Amino acid sequence: MDCQEVVEKMYLYLDHEILTEEERREFEKHLEMCRQCCKRYEFERALWLLIRQNGLGEAIPETLLHRIENVIAQF
Amino acid sequence: MPTKEGRKETFQNLLMPELGALFRTALRMTRNREDAEDLTQETIAKAFAAFDRFEEGTNFRAWIFKILTNTFINNYYRVREKQKLPSLDEMEEETAFQPAFEGATPEETLLNTLTREDIVKAIESIPLEFRAVVVLTLVEGFSYKETAEILDIPIGTVMSRLHRGRKLLQRALWEYSNKKYRERENGREWTARKS
Repeated sequence: MDCQEVVEKMYLYLDHEILTEEERREFEKHLEMCRQCCKRYEFERALWLLIRQNGLGEAIPETLLHRIENVIAQF
Repeated sequence: MPTKEGRKETFQNLLMPELGALFRTALRMTRNREDAEDLTQETIAKAFAAFDRFEEGTNFRAWIFKILTNTFINNYYRVREKQKLPSLDEMEEETAFQPAFEGATPEETLLNTLTREDIVKAIESIPLEFRAVVVLTLVEGFSYKETAEILDIPIGTVMSRLHRGRKLLQRALWEYSNKKYRERENGREWTARKS
């Protein structure tokens, strides 16, 4: 797998999508050898984690919980 | 045939672990807390009304998220909210300036300066068709296939919207990071001039 292919497949790898076992291994092998792709991958991965962690942190308001309890009680 | 109480209990057991994710997604879609609470409540009421048609053992999470996104599009999304989209060239141009603080790469600078507020603001700045895909896959962890089912679009469309959505998100984040860098540099100049 060359740099161009790695860049094209980077998001698929990050999203755990579609890559076959063999493609996955080749992707990882390339990252071990290529500093530039590895740096790019590390950045994309860190950014993705940051987006996910920050996107997830949101508490449900108490008011909504009460409203939901009321809705369910009426079922 | 399960009793009404039994059905209600099954529904509640399936619903409770998803409540947080439903509210979060409602919030990112509507971009205001009041509408997000209404949308979550409406989704739950609709889902229970349709629960007879839900096949036990299939993907409840994807099923109720589909109800949420449909309800949002039908009842909350207004045409006036449709946003102008920058062209791909414009996006490349704007991300060209990548400042770096001493000893750090531009990427490290970006990762270290962003706050939760920046990230939420960036997600909410993306037009809905891209935002929905970004929120479902990147934040909530749905697969491309599940996202395609929830939004009723082909998997190829999920992939292209996600690609564009990521670009838009990164563009917004670089902009925030650049702004902070400039503010810091201006602050420095000001301090230097004063002394």
